[in-house]
Amino acid sequence: MNEDDGIDVDDEELESKSDSEPEVLRLKEPLKNAVYNEDGLAEKLEDIAWPEDVDWKHKLTVDHEQAPDIDVEDDLAREMAFYTQALDGTRKAFAILQSAGLPFLRPPDYYAEMVKSDSHMLKVKGKLLVEKKKIEEAEERKKAREAKKIAKEVQAQKNKERAKRKKEDIESVKKWRKQRQQSGFAKGKDEDMGFNFDGNSFERSKKKRPGVSPGDRSGGFRKQGWKSKSGMENKKRERRESKFGHGGRKGMKKQNTAETTNDFRDFNKGDVKKQRRNGANRLL
Amino acid sequence: MGKKRKQTESQEVVKKDDTAPPRPKRTLLGWKDGGVAKKSDSAVFRNKEKVLVTCSRRIMSRYRHLMMDVVSLLPHCKKDSKVESKETKGATLNELVELRNCSSILFFECRKQKDLYLWMAKSPSGPSAKFLVNAVHTMEELKLTGNHLKGSRPILTFSANFDQEPHWKLLKEMIIQIFGTPKDHGKVKPFHDHVFVFSIVDRHIWFRNYQISVPHNETDKVDRGGLDKMTLVEVGPRFCLNPIKIFGGSFGGPTLYENPFYISPNLERAQMKKAKATKYVKKVKAKTRRKMHEIENPLEPDEFADLWKE
Repeated sequence: MNEDDGIDVDDEELESKSDSEPEVLRLKEPLKNAVYNEDGLAEKLEDIAWPEDVDWKHKLTVDHEQAPDIDVEDDLAREMAFYTQALDGTRKAFAILQSAGLPFLRPPDYYAEMVKSDSHMLKVKGKLLVEKKKIEEAEERKKAREAKKIAKEVQAQKNKERAKRKKEDIESVKKWRKQRQQSGFAKGKDEDMGFNFDGNSFERSKKKRPGVSPGDRSGGFRKQGWKSKSGMENKKRERRESKFGHGGRKGMKKQNTAETTNDFRDFNKGDVKKQRRNGANRLL
Repeated sequence: MGKKRKQTESQEVVKKDDTAPPRPKRTLLGWKDGGVAKKSDSAVFRNKEKVLVTCSRRIMSRYRHLMMDVVSLLPHCKKDSKVESKETKGATLNELVELRNCSSILFFECRKQKDLYLWMAKSPSGPSAKFLVNAVHTMEELKLTGNHLKGSRPILTFSANFDQEPHWKLLKEMIIQIFGTPKDHGKVKPFHDHVFVFSIVDRHIWFRNYQISVPHNETDKVDRGGLDKMTLVEVGPRFCLNPIKIFGGSFGGPTLYENPFYISPNLERAQMKKAKATKYVKKVKAKTRRKMHEIENPLEPDEFADLWKE
Protein backbone atom coordinates (compact mmCIF):
# COMPACT_ATOMS: atom_id res chain seq x y z
CA MET A 1 0.00 0.00 0.00
CA ASN A 2 2.73 2.36 0.93
CA GLU A 3 4.49 1.79 -2.31
CA ASP A 4 1.29 2.39 -4.19
CA ASP A 5 0.82 5.69 -2.49
CA GLY A 6 4.33 6.74 -3.39
CA ILE A 7 3.79 5.96 -7.03
CA ASP A 8 0.55 7.83 -7.09
CA VAL A 9 2.19 10.93 -5.70
CA ASP A 10 4.92 10.63 -8.27
CA ASP A 11 2.35 10.37 -11.01
CA GLU A 12 0.56 13.46 -9.90
CA GLU A 13 3.77 15.37 -9.68
CA LEU A 14 4.82 14.30 -13.12
CA GLU A 15 1.49 15.11 -14.67
CA SER A 16 1.35 18.54 -13.15
CA LYS A 17 4.89 19.18 -14.33
CA SER A 18 4.25 18.08 -17.86
CA ASP A 19 1.07 20.13 -17.93
CA SER A 20 2.78 23.25 -16.72
CA GLU A 21 5.73 23.04 -19.10
CA PRO A 22 3.95 23.99 -22.30
CA GLU A 23 2.21 26.75 -20.37
CA VAL A 24 5.55 28.35 -19.58
CA LEU A 25 6.51 28.13 -23.23
CA ARG A 26 3.31 29.53 -24.66
CA LEU A 27 1.65 31.72 -22.09
CA LYS A 28 4.84 33.51 -21.19
CA GLU A 29 3.75 34.95 -17.92
CA PRO A 30 5.72 38.15 -17.42
CA LEU A 31 8.40 37.82 -14.79
CA LYS A 32 7.49 39.63 -11.60
CA ASN A 33 11.02 40.60 -10.70
CA ALA A 34 12.08 41.93 -14.09
CA VAL A 35 13.96 45.19 -13.86
CA TYR A 36 12.17 48.16 -15.28
CA ASN A 37 13.83 51.44 -14.42
CA GLU A 38 11.67 53.99 -16.19
CA ASP A 39 13.52 56.99 -14.79
CA GLY A 40 16.84 55.56 -15.82
CA LEU A 41 15.56 54.91 -19.31
CA ALA A 42 14.19 58.43 -19.62
CA GLU A 43 17.44 59.86 -18.37
CA LYS A 44 19.46 57.86 -20.86
CA LEU A 45 17.13 58.88 -23.62
CA GLU A 46 17.68 62.49 -22.71
CA ASP A 47 21.41 61.88 -22.68
CA ILE A 48 21.69 60.48 -26.15
CA ALA A 49 18.79 62.17 -27.85
CA TRP A 50 19.34 64.67 -30.58
CA PRO A 51 18.01 68.15 -29.88
CA GLU A 52 14.26 68.48 -30.03
CA ASP A 53 14.17 70.92 -32.88
CA VAL A 54 16.63 69.10 -35.08
CA ASP A 55 15.77 69.39 -38.72
CA TRP A 56 13.73 66.56 -40.13
CA LYS A 57 16.26 66.19 -42.94
CA HIS A 58 18.69 64.66 -40.47
CA LYS A 59 16.32 62.11 -39.13
CA LEU A 60 14.13 61.13 -42.07
CA THR A 61 11.78 59.35 -39.71
CA VAL A 62 8.09 58.78 -40.20
CA ASP A 63 5.66 57.32 -37.71
CA HIS A 64 2.88 55.09 -38.82
CA GLU A 65 -0.26 54.21 -36.91
CA GLN A 66 -0.35 50.46 -37.07
CA ALA A 67 -3.42 48.28 -37.20
CA PRO A 68 -4.03 47.29 -33.58
CA ASP A 69 -4.11 43.52 -33.93
CA ILE A 70 -1.70 41.89 -36.30
CA ASP A 71 -1.46 38.16 -36.16
CA VAL A 72 2.24 37.36 -35.99
CA GLU A 73 1.74 33.80 -37.12
CA ASP A 74 -0.09 34.88 -40.26
CA ASP A 75 2.82 35.65 -42.59
CA LEU A 76 0.74 37.35 -45.25
CA ALA A 77 -1.07 39.68 -42.87
CA ARG A 78 2.14 40.57 -41.09
CA GLU A 79 4.07 41.33 -44.27
CA MET A 80 1.13 43.30 -45.58
CA ALA A 81 1.17 45.41 -42.44
CA PHE A 82 4.88 46.12 -42.91
CA TYR A 83 4.36 46.93 -46.54
CA THR A 84 1.58 49.39 -45.83
CA GLN A 85 3.69 50.98 -43.14
CA ALA A 86 6.57 51.40 -45.58
CA LEU A 87 4.35 52.72 -48.34
CA ASP A 88 2.53 55.14 -46.10
CA GLY A 89 5.80 56.31 -44.59
CA THR A 90 7.35 56.83 -47.99
CA ARG A 91 4.36 58.86 -49.18
CA LYS A 92 4.59 61.12 -46.15
CA ALA A 93 8.35 61.48 -46.43
CA PHE A 94 8.20 62.28 -50.13
CA ALA A 95 5.51 64.85 -49.51
CA ILE A 96 7.78 66.58 -46.98
CA LEU A 97 10.79 66.35 -49.26
CA GLN A 98 8.78 67.69 -52.16
CA SER A 99 7.53 70.63 -50.17
CA ALA A 100 11.10 71.35 -49.09
CA GLY A 101 12.16 71.29 -52.72
CA LEU A 102 14.83 68.66 -52.22
CA PRO A 103 15.67 66.11 -54.85
CA PHE A 104 14.68 62.66 -53.79
CA LEU A 105 14.23 60.54 -56.88
CA ARG A 106 17.08 59.00 -58.72
CA PRO A 107 17.20 60.32 -62.27
CA PRO A 108 17.02 57.53 -64.85
CA ASP A 109 20.48 58.27 -66.18
CA TYR A 110 22.13 58.14 -62.79
CA TYR A 111 24.17 55.01 -62.54
CA ALA A 112 26.04 54.06 -59.41
CA GLU A 113 26.94 51.07 -57.35
CA MET A 114 23.96 49.17 -56.11
CA VAL A 115 23.51 47.16 -52.95
CA LYS A 116 23.16 43.94 -54.88
CA SER A 117 25.64 43.13 -57.59
CA ASP A 118 24.66 42.66 -61.20
CA SER A 119 25.54 38.99 -61.10
CA HIS A 120 23.22 38.52 -58.15
CA MET A 121 20.43 40.40 -59.90
CA LEU A 122 20.99 38.16 -62.93
CA LYS A 123 20.46 35.18 -60.68
CA VAL A 124 17.28 36.73 -59.33
CA LYS A 125 16.07 37.33 -62.86
CA GLY A 126 16.92 33.78 -63.84
CA LYS A 127 14.93 32.47 -60.95
CA LEU A 128 11.96 34.60 -61.84
CA LEU A 129 12.12 33.37 -65.41
CA VAL A 130 12.32 29.76 -64.29
CA GLU A 131 9.33 30.27 -62.05
CA LYS A 132 7.37 31.86 -64.86
CA LYS A 133 8.26 28.99 -67.14
CA LYS A 134 7.20 26.50 -64.51
CA ILE A 135 3.84 28.18 -64.16
CA GLU A 136 3.34 28.24 -67.90
CA GLU A 137 4.23 24.60 -68.24
CA ALA A 138 1.87 23.65 -65.47
CA GLU A 139 -0.89 25.57 -67.18
CA GLU A 140 -0.20 23.85 -70.47
CA ARG A 141 -0.33 20.49 -68.81
CA LYS A 142 -3.62 21.41 -67.23
CA LYS A 143 -5.01 22.47 -70.56
CA ALA A 144 -3.88 19.26 -72.22
CA ARG A 145 -5.53 17.27 -69.48
CA GLU A 146 -8.78 19.10 -69.97
CA ALA A 147 -8.64 18.69 -73.73
CA LYS A 148 -8.13 14.99 -73.25
CA LYS A 149 -11.16 14.84 -71.03
CA ILE A 150 -13.27 16.63 -73.61
CA ALA A 151 -12.01 14.37 -76.38
CA LYS A 152 -13.00 11.37 -74.33
CA GLU A 153 -16.48 12.75 -73.86
CA VAL A 154 -16.84 13.46 -77.57
CA GLN A 155 -15.73 9.93 -78.39
CA ALA A 156 -18.24 8.48 -75.96
CA GLN A 157 -20.97 10.60 -77.52
CA LYS A 158 -20.04 9.35 -80.96
CA ASN A 159 -20.09 5.74 -79.87
CA LYS A 160 -23.46 6.24 -78.31
CA GLU A 161 -24.84 7.76 -81.47
CA ARG A 162 -23.46 4.94 -83.56
CA ALA A 163 -25.07 2.37 -81.31
CA LYS A 164 -28.33 4.25 -81.48
CA ARG A 165 -28.28 4.33 -85.26
CA LYS A 166 -27.55 0.66 -85.41
CA LYS A 167 -30.46 -0.03 -83.14
CA GLU A 168 -32.72 2.13 -85.23
CA ASP A 169 -31.69 0.34 -88.38
CA ILE A 170 -32.41 -3.01 -86.84
CA GLU A 171 -35.72 -1.70 -85.59
CA SER A 172 -36.71 -0.46 -89.02
CA VAL A 173 -35.88 -3.80 -90.57
CA LYS A 174 -37.98 -5.53 -87.93
CA LYS A 175 -40.82 -3.17 -88.62
CA TRP A 176 -40.63 -3.86 -92.27
CA ARG A 177 -40.68 -7.59 -91.61
CA LYS A 178 -43.74 -7.20 -89.45
CA GLN A 179 -45.46 -5.23 -92.14
CA ARG A 180 -44.69 -7.94 -94.60
CA GLN A 181 -46.05 -10.53 -92.26
CA GLN A 182 -49.22 -8.56 -91.77
CA SER A 183 -49.77 -8.22 -95.45
CA GLY A 184 -49.38 -11.99 -95.75
CA PHE A 185 -46.18 -11.98 -97.75
CA ALA A 186 -47.98 -10.57 -100.73
CA LYS A 187 -45.83 -10.58 -103.79
CA GLY A 188 -45.47 -8.02 -106.53
CA LYS A 189 -46.44 -4.53 -105.69
CA ASP A 190 -46.15 -4.95 -101.93
CA GLU A 191 -42.76 -6.50 -102.24
CA ASP A 192 -41.53 -3.62 -104.23
CA MET A 193 -42.92 -1.12 -101.84
CA GLY A 194 -41.46 -2.95 -98.88
CA PHE A 195 -37.99 -2.54 -100.15
CA ASN A 196 -37.48 1.11 -100.15
CA PHE A 197 -34.04 0.84 -101.56
CA ASP A 198 -32.63 3.69 -103.48
CA GLY A 199 -30.99 3.14 -106.79
CA ASN A 200 -27.54 3.21 -105.37
CA SER A 201 -28.14 1.18 -102.27
CA PHE A 202 -26.12 -1.72 -103.61
CA GLU A 203 -23.28 0.38 -104.80
CA ARG A 204 -20.20 0.25 -102.69
CA SER A 205 -19.20 3.40 -100.95
CA LYS A 206 -15.59 4.36 -101.36
CA LYS A 207 -15.15 5.01 -97.69
CA LYS A 208 -13.04 2.70 -95.68
CA ARG A 209 -15.21 0.66 -93.33
CA PRO A 210 -14.53 0.35 -89.64
CA GLY A 211 -13.22 -2.87 -88.28
CA VAL A 212 -11.24 -3.85 -91.32
CA SER A 213 -8.08 -5.83 -90.75
CA PRO A 214 -4.99 -3.78 -91.45
CA GLY A 215 -3.76 -6.20 -94.13
CA ASP A 216 -6.86 -5.73 -96.26
CA ARG A 217 -5.93 -3.11 -98.81
CA SER A 218 -9.31 -3.05 -100.51
CA GLY A 219 -10.81 -1.56 -97.38
CA GLY A 220 -13.12 -4.46 -96.69
CA PHE A 221 -14.91 -4.21 -100.04
CA ARG A 222 -13.80 -7.58 -101.32
CA LYS A 223 -15.43 -9.40 -98.45
CA GLN A 224 -18.73 -7.66 -98.97
CA GLY A 225 -19.37 -8.57 -102.60
CA TRP A 226 -22.54 -10.68 -102.60
CA LYS A 227 -21.51 -12.45 -105.79
CA SER A 228 -18.52 -14.05 -104.21
CA LYS A 229 -20.41 -15.31 -101.21
CA SER A 230 -20.85 -18.90 -102.36
CA GLY A 231 -20.83 -20.69 -105.68
CA MET A 232 -24.11 -22.51 -105.07
CA GLU A 233 -26.24 -19.46 -104.59
CA ASN A 234 -24.52 -17.86 -107.46
CA LYS A 235 -25.47 -20.65 -109.86
CA LYS A 236 -29.03 -20.78 -108.63
CA ARG A 237 -29.32 -17.09 -109.13
CA GLU A 238 -28.01 -17.35 -112.62
CA ARG A 239 -30.44 -20.09 -113.53
CA ARG A 240 -33.33 -18.15 -112.14
CA GLU A 241 -32.29 -15.12 -113.99
CA SER A 242 -32.05 -17.06 -117.18
CA LYS A 243 -35.59 -18.30 -116.53
CA PHE A 244 -37.25 -15.19 -115.15
CA GLY A 245 -35.00 -12.45 -116.37
CA HIS A 246 -33.40 -9.71 -114.42
CA GLY A 247 -34.73 -6.25 -114.28
CA GLY A 248 -36.65 -4.54 -117.04
CA ARG A 249 -40.34 -3.85 -117.40
CA LYS A 250 -42.69 -6.67 -116.61
CA GLY A 251 -45.41 -5.55 -118.95
CA MET A 252 -43.30 -6.28 -121.97
CA LYS A 253 -42.80 -9.84 -120.85
CA LYS A 254 -46.49 -10.50 -120.43
CA GLN A 255 -47.46 -9.42 -123.87
CA ASN A 256 -47.73 -12.00 -126.62
CA THR A 257 -45.45 -11.89 -129.50
CA ALA A 258 -45.72 -13.57 -132.90
CA GLU A 259 -43.78 -16.54 -131.67
CA THR A 260 -45.86 -17.15 -128.58
CA THR A 261 -49.11 -16.88 -130.44
CA ASN A 262 -47.98 -19.53 -132.87
CA ASP A 263 -46.64 -21.79 -130.18
CA PHE A 264 -49.04 -24.58 -129.48
CA ARG A 265 -46.73 -26.72 -127.40
CA ASP A 266 -48.83 -26.54 -124.28
CA PHE A 267 -52.17 -26.56 -126.01
CA ASN A 268 -54.19 -29.75 -125.40
CA LYS A 269 -57.57 -29.74 -126.95
CA GLY A 270 -58.92 -32.93 -125.39
CA ASP A 271 -58.07 -32.52 -121.70
CA VAL A 272 -60.15 -29.59 -120.49
CA LYS A 273 -59.32 -30.22 -116.84
CA LYS A 274 -55.61 -30.11 -117.44
CA GLN A 275 -56.00 -27.13 -119.69
CA ARG A 276 -57.81 -25.21 -116.98
CA ARG A 277 -55.20 -26.02 -114.42
CA ASN A 278 -52.48 -24.94 -116.76
CA GLY A 279 -54.38 -21.80 -117.60
CA ALA A 280 -54.83 -21.05 -113.97
CA ASN A 281 -51.18 -21.61 -113.40
CA ARG A 282 -50.18 -19.30 -116.11
CA LEU A 283 -52.56 -16.63 -115.00
CA LEU A 284 -51.34 -16.72 -111.54
CA MET B 1 28.45 67.69 -63.12
CA GLY B 2 24.77 67.49 -62.31
CA LYS B 3 25.37 65.57 -59.16
CA LYS B 4 27.85 68.08 -57.81
CA ARG B 5 25.56 70.98 -58.45
CA LYS B 6 22.77 69.33 -56.55
CA GLN B 7 24.95 68.82 -53.53
CA THR B 8 25.86 72.47 -53.40
CA GLU B 9 22.21 73.32 -53.65
CA SER B 10 21.34 71.21 -50.67
CA GLN B 11 24.14 72.73 -48.68
CA GLU B 12 22.81 76.13 -49.44
CA VAL B 13 19.49 75.08 -48.10
CA VAL B 14 21.13 74.02 -44.87
CA LYS B 15 22.89 77.32 -44.58
CA LYS B 16 19.65 79.15 -45.02
CA ASP B 17 18.31 77.14 -42.15
CA ASP B 18 20.99 77.95 -39.66
CA THR B 19 20.90 81.70 -40.43
CA ALA B 20 22.26 83.81 -37.57
CA PRO B 21 24.00 81.85 -34.77
CA PRO B 22 27.64 81.17 -35.55
CA ARG B 23 29.06 77.72 -35.22
CA PRO B 24 30.22 77.12 -31.64
CA LYS B 25 33.62 75.83 -30.85
CA ARG B 26 33.90 72.13 -30.96
CA THR B 27 34.42 70.47 -27.61
CA LEU B 28 36.79 67.62 -27.22
CA LEU B 29 34.09 65.04 -26.94
CA GLY B 30 31.65 67.03 -28.99
CA TRP B 31 31.46 64.58 -31.86
CA LYS B 32 30.46 61.72 -29.65
CA ASP B 33 27.17 63.03 -28.42
CA GLY B 34 26.97 66.11 -30.49
CA GLY B 35 23.35 66.69 -29.71
CA VAL B 36 23.96 67.08 -26.02
CA ALA B 37 26.92 69.30 -26.46
CA LYS B 38 25.15 71.61 -28.84
CA LYS B 39 21.75 71.50 -27.33
CA SER B 40 21.78 75.21 -26.91
CA ASP B 41 21.95 75.91 -30.62
CA SER B 42 20.66 72.97 -32.53
CA ALA B 43 20.69 74.86 -35.78
CA VAL B 44 24.22 73.70 -36.52
CA PHE B 45 23.48 70.18 -35.54
CA ARG B 46 25.68 67.81 -37.45
CA ASN B 47 25.26 64.13 -37.34
CA LYS B 48 28.69 62.52 -37.32
CA GLU B 49 27.61 59.11 -36.29
CA LYS B 50 29.96 56.25 -37.08
CA VAL B 51 28.99 52.68 -36.43
CA LEU B 52 31.37 49.85 -35.84
CA VAL B 53 30.06 46.51 -37.07
CA THR B 54 31.70 43.30 -35.91
CA CYS B 55 30.83 39.81 -34.99
CA SER B 56 32.09 37.10 -32.72
CA ARG B 57 34.29 34.27 -33.90
CA ARG B 58 32.72 31.06 -35.16
CA ILE B 59 29.68 32.90 -36.42
CA MET B 60 27.39 30.96 -38.72
CA SER B 61 27.60 31.82 -42.40
CA ARG B 62 23.98 32.88 -42.54
CA TYR B 63 24.48 35.35 -39.72
CA ARG B 64 27.72 36.54 -41.23
CA HIS B 65 25.84 37.27 -44.43
CA LEU B 66 23.29 39.19 -42.42
CA MET B 67 26.10 41.25 -40.96
CA MET B 68 27.53 41.92 -44.40
CA ASP B 69 24.10 43.03 -45.55
CA VAL B 70 23.90 45.46 -42.67
CA VAL B 71 27.34 46.74 -43.59
CA SER B 72 26.24 47.32 -47.17
CA LEU B 73 23.18 49.19 -45.94
CA LEU B 74 25.05 51.53 -43.63
CA PRO B 75 27.53 53.69 -45.56
CA HIS B 76 28.60 55.29 -42.28
CA CYS B 77 29.79 52.06 -40.73
CA LYS B 78 33.20 50.54 -40.26
CA LYS B 79 33.70 46.85 -40.34
CA ASP B 80 36.15 45.21 -38.05
CA SER B 81 37.58 41.74 -37.81
CA LYS B 82 35.93 39.14 -35.71
CA VAL B 83 36.28 39.31 -31.97
CA GLU B 84 36.97 36.32 -29.77
CA SER B 85 33.69 35.71 -28.02
CA LYS B 86 35.28 35.14 -24.63
CA GLU B 87 36.53 38.66 -24.48
CA THR B 88 33.33 40.14 -25.77
CA LYS B 89 32.30 41.25 -22.37
CA GLY B 90 32.76 44.94 -22.23
CA ALA B 91 36.25 46.25 -22.20
CA THR B 92 37.66 44.93 -25.47
CA LEU B 93 34.76 46.07 -27.52
CA ASN B 94 34.70 49.50 -25.92
CA GLU B 95 38.37 49.84 -26.61
CA LEU B 96 37.86 48.79 -30.18
CA VAL B 97 35.14 51.36 -30.69
CA GLU B 98 37.33 54.07 -29.34
CA LEU B 99 40.23 52.91 -31.45
CA ARG B 100 38.17 53.11 -34.60
CA ASN B 101 36.76 56.52 -33.71
CA CYS B 102 33.22 55.27 -33.72
CA SER B 103 30.28 56.46 -31.67
CA SER B 104 28.20 53.33 -31.68
CA ILE B 105 28.52 49.65 -32.32
CA LEU B 106 26.52 46.78 -33.71
CA PHE B 107 27.94 43.52 -32.43
CA PHE B 108 26.67 40.22 -33.79
CA GLU B 109 27.30 37.51 -31.27
CA CYS B 110 26.73 33.93 -32.27
CA ARG B 111 26.47 31.29 -29.61
CA LYS B 112 26.36 27.52 -29.93
CA GLN B 113 26.40 27.86 -33.69
CA LYS B 114 22.72 28.57 -33.66
CA ASP B 115 21.66 31.57 -31.62
CA LEU B 116 22.39 35.07 -32.77
CA TYR B 117 22.43 37.96 -30.34
CA LEU B 118 22.76 41.54 -31.44
CA TRP B 119 24.30 44.15 -29.24
CA MET B 120 23.43 47.73 -30.04
CA ALA B 121 25.47 50.18 -28.03
CA LYS B 122 26.25 53.86 -27.90
CA SER B 123 29.82 54.50 -26.92
CA PRO B 124 31.35 55.45 -24.59
CA SER B 125 28.63 56.38 -22.16
CA GLY B 126 25.91 53.98 -23.15
CA PRO B 127 23.22 52.87 -23.22
CA SER B 128 23.44 49.43 -24.78
CA ALA B 129 20.78 46.93 -25.67
CA LYS B 130 20.95 43.23 -26.25
CA PHE B 131 18.60 41.49 -28.61
CA LEU B 132 17.95 37.96 -29.66
CA VAL B 133 17.72 37.84 -33.45
CA ASN B 134 15.05 35.64 -34.98
CA ALA B 135 13.67 34.97 -38.42
CA VAL B 136 16.77 35.92 -40.36
CA HIS B 137 16.61 36.24 -44.12
CA THR B 138 19.60 37.68 -45.91
CA MET B 139 19.79 39.68 -49.10
CA GLU B 140 21.25 36.67 -50.86
CA GLU B 141 17.88 35.06 -50.97
CA LEU B 142 16.57 35.09 -54.49
CA LYS B 143 12.97 35.77 -53.61
CA LEU B 144 13.84 39.30 -52.52
CA THR B 145 13.94 40.94 -55.91
CA GLY B 146 14.49 44.60 -55.12
CA ASN B 147 17.71 46.54 -55.42
CA HIS B 148 18.71 50.07 -54.59
CA LEU B 149 21.62 52.45 -54.63
CA LYS B 150 24.44 51.71 -52.27
CA GLY B 151 24.71 54.64 -49.93
CA SER B 152 21.40 56.33 -50.52
CA ARG B 153 19.82 57.51 -47.30
CA PRO B 154 16.96 55.37 -46.08
CA ILE B 155 13.66 56.72 -44.88
CA LEU B 156 13.01 55.26 -41.44
CA THR B 157 9.45 54.34 -40.66
CA PHE B 158 8.41 53.39 -37.16
CA SER B 159 5.17 51.96 -35.95
CA ALA B 160 3.39 54.27 -33.56
CA ASN B 161 3.72 51.90 -30.59
CA PHE B 162 7.39 52.87 -30.33
CA ASP B 163 6.26 55.98 -28.48
CA GLN B 164 4.14 54.19 -25.90
CA GLU B 165 6.70 52.87 -23.43
CA PRO B 166 9.99 54.35 -22.24
CA HIS B 167 12.16 51.44 -23.27
CA TRP B 168 10.73 51.47 -26.78
CA LYS B 169 11.35 55.21 -26.93
CA LEU B 170 14.97 54.70 -26.00
CA LEU B 171 15.37 51.90 -28.53
CA LYS B 172 13.77 54.05 -31.20
CA GLU B 173 16.25 56.83 -30.57
CA MET B 174 19.14 54.39 -30.73
CA ILE B 175 17.85 52.91 -33.96
CA ILE B 176 17.43 56.34 -35.50
CA GLN B 177 20.99 57.22 -34.66
CA ILE B 178 22.55 53.93 -35.72
CA PHE B 179 20.50 53.04 -38.79
CA GLY B 180 19.88 56.53 -40.06
CA THR B 181 22.61 57.61 -42.43
CA PRO B 182 24.15 61.00 -41.57
CA LYS B 183 23.05 63.64 -44.01
CA ASP B 184 26.41 64.96 -45.10
CA HIS B 185 28.37 61.77 -45.03
CA GLY B 186 30.92 61.37 -47.80
CA LYS B 187 29.60 58.17 -49.28
CA VAL B 188 25.99 59.27 -49.30
CA LYS B 189 24.12 59.63 -52.56
CA PRO B 190 21.60 62.44 -52.73
CA PHE B 191 18.53 60.35 -53.47
CA HIS B 192 16.10 58.30 -51.47
CA ASP B 193 15.23 55.00 -52.99
CA HIS B 194 14.71 52.72 -50.03
CA VAL B 195 12.73 52.55 -46.80
CA PHE B 196 13.46 50.82 -43.54
CA VAL B 197 10.55 49.49 -41.58
CA PHE B 198 10.83 49.11 -37.82
CA SER B 199 7.65 47.74 -36.45
CA ILE B 200 6.74 46.35 -33.06
CA VAL B 201 4.56 43.32 -33.38
CA ASP B 202 4.19 40.82 -30.56
CA ARG B 203 6.81 42.66 -28.47
CA HIS B 204 9.45 42.12 -31.16
CA ILE B 205 11.02 44.69 -33.44
CA TRP B 206 10.67 43.58 -37.04
CA PHE B 207 13.00 44.98 -39.66
CA ARG B 208 12.26 45.21 -43.37
CA ASN B 209 13.98 47.06 -46.19
CA TYR B 210 12.06 48.03 -49.31
CA GLN B 211 13.11 49.61 -52.55
CA ILE B 212 10.93 52.52 -53.66
CA SER B 213 10.20 52.24 -57.33
CA VAL B 214 8.42 55.15 -58.92
CA PRO B 215 7.70 55.06 -62.62
CA HIS B 216 9.58 58.08 -63.73
CA ASN B 217 8.59 60.48 -66.38
CA GLU B 218 10.33 63.49 -64.95
CA THR B 219 13.44 63.27 -62.86
CA ASP B 220 13.02 65.40 -59.81
CA LYS B 221 9.53 66.73 -59.70
CA VAL B 222 6.99 64.03 -59.38
CA ASP B 223 3.40 64.86 -59.93
CA ARG B 224 0.91 63.28 -57.59
CA GLY B 225 0.08 60.65 -60.17
CA GLY B 226 3.67 59.43 -60.12
CA LEU B 227 3.62 59.13 -56.36
CA ASP B 228 0.37 57.24 -56.45
CA LYS B 229 1.87 54.73 -58.81
CA MET B 230 4.74 54.17 -56.43
CA THR B 231 5.37 50.57 -55.49
CA LEU B 232 7.76 48.92 -53.07
CA VAL B 233 9.91 45.90 -53.75
CA GLU B 234 11.56 44.14 -50.89
CA VAL B 235 15.34 44.19 -50.93
CA GLY B 236 16.14 42.46 -47.67
CA PRO B 237 17.51 41.55 -45.24
CA ARG B 238 14.76 40.58 -42.86
CA PHE B 239 15.19 40.00 -39.19
CA CYS B 240 13.28 40.22 -35.98
CA LEU B 241 14.79 41.58 -32.77
CA ASN B 242 13.62 40.34 -29.43
CA PRO B 243 14.91 42.76 -26.78
CA ILE B 244 16.47 41.03 -23.80
CA LYS B 245 18.03 43.74 -21.70
CA ILE B 246 18.95 47.39 -21.81
CA PHE B 247 22.02 48.48 -19.89
CA GLY B 248 22.97 51.94 -18.73
CA GLY B 249 26.55 51.80 -19.94
CA SER B 250 28.17 50.54 -23.05
CA PHE B 251 28.42 46.76 -22.68
CA GLY B 252 27.73 46.98 -18.98
CA GLY B 253 26.46 49.24 -16.31
CA PRO B 254 23.17 49.04 -14.46
CA THR B 255 20.32 47.15 -16.02
CA LEU B 256 17.58 49.57 -16.95
CA TYR B 257 15.20 47.16 -18.54
CA GLU B 258 14.68 43.46 -18.59
CA ASN B 259 12.23 41.78 -20.91
CA PRO B 260 9.81 39.91 -18.64
CA PHE B 261 8.63 37.72 -21.50
CA TYR B 262 12.03 36.63 -22.65
CA ILE B 263 12.89 32.96 -22.67
CA SER B 264 16.41 32.15 -23.68
CA PRO B 265 16.68 29.71 -26.56
CA ASN B 266 18.64 27.40 -24.28
CA LEU B 267 15.75 27.17 -21.88
CA GLU B 268 13.36 26.66 -24.72
CA ARG B 269 15.39 23.80 -26.10
CA ALA B 270 15.78 22.29 -22.65
CA GLN B 271 12.07 22.39 -22.12
CA MET B 272 11.40 20.80 -25.45
CA LYS B 273 13.82 18.05 -24.56
CA LYS B 274 12.15 17.65 -21.22
CA ALA B 275 8.76 17.37 -22.81
CA LYS B 276 10.09 14.62 -25.01
CA ALA B 277 11.66 12.90 -22.02
CA THR B 278 8.47 12.92 -19.99
CA LYS B 279 6.74 11.15 -22.82
CA TYR B 280 8.87 8.08 -22.26
CA VAL B 281 8.67 8.34 -18.48
CA LYS B 282 4.91 8.52 -18.70
CA LYS B 283 4.83 5.41 -20.79
CA VAL B 284 6.94 3.50 -18.29
CA LYS B 285 4.80 4.78 -15.44
CA ALA B 286 1.66 3.64 -17.16
CA LYS B 287 3.15 0.22 -17.66
CA THR B 288 4.09 -0.21 -14.01
CA ARG B 289 0.70 1.09 -12.92
CA ARG B 290 -0.99 -1.46 -15.09
CA LYS B 291 1.18 -4.17 -13.64
CA MET B 292 0.34 -3.12 -10.09
CA HIS B 293 -3.31 -3.07 -10.96
CA GLU B 294 -3.11 -6.56 -12.37
CA ILE B 295 -1.38 -7.81 -9.26
CA GLU B 296 -3.89 -6.12 -6.99
CA ASN B 297 -6.94 -7.37 -8.81
CA PRO B 298 -6.10 -10.85 -10.00
CA LEU B 299 -8.55 -12.55 -12.32
CA GLU B 300 -10.82 -15.10 -10.71
CA PRO B 301 -9.82 -18.64 -11.64
CA ASP B 302 -11.96 -19.70 -14.56
CA GLU B 303 -13.98 -22.74 -13.55
CA PHE B 304 -14.50 -23.80 -17.13
CA ALA B 305 -10.87 -23.43 -18.05
CA ASP B 306 -10.15 -27.13 -18.42
CA LEU B 307 -13.59 -28.27 -19.42
CA TRP B 308 -12.52 -29.43 -22.85
CA LYS B 309 -9.15 -30.68 -21.72
CA GLU B 310 -9.09 -34.41 -21.50
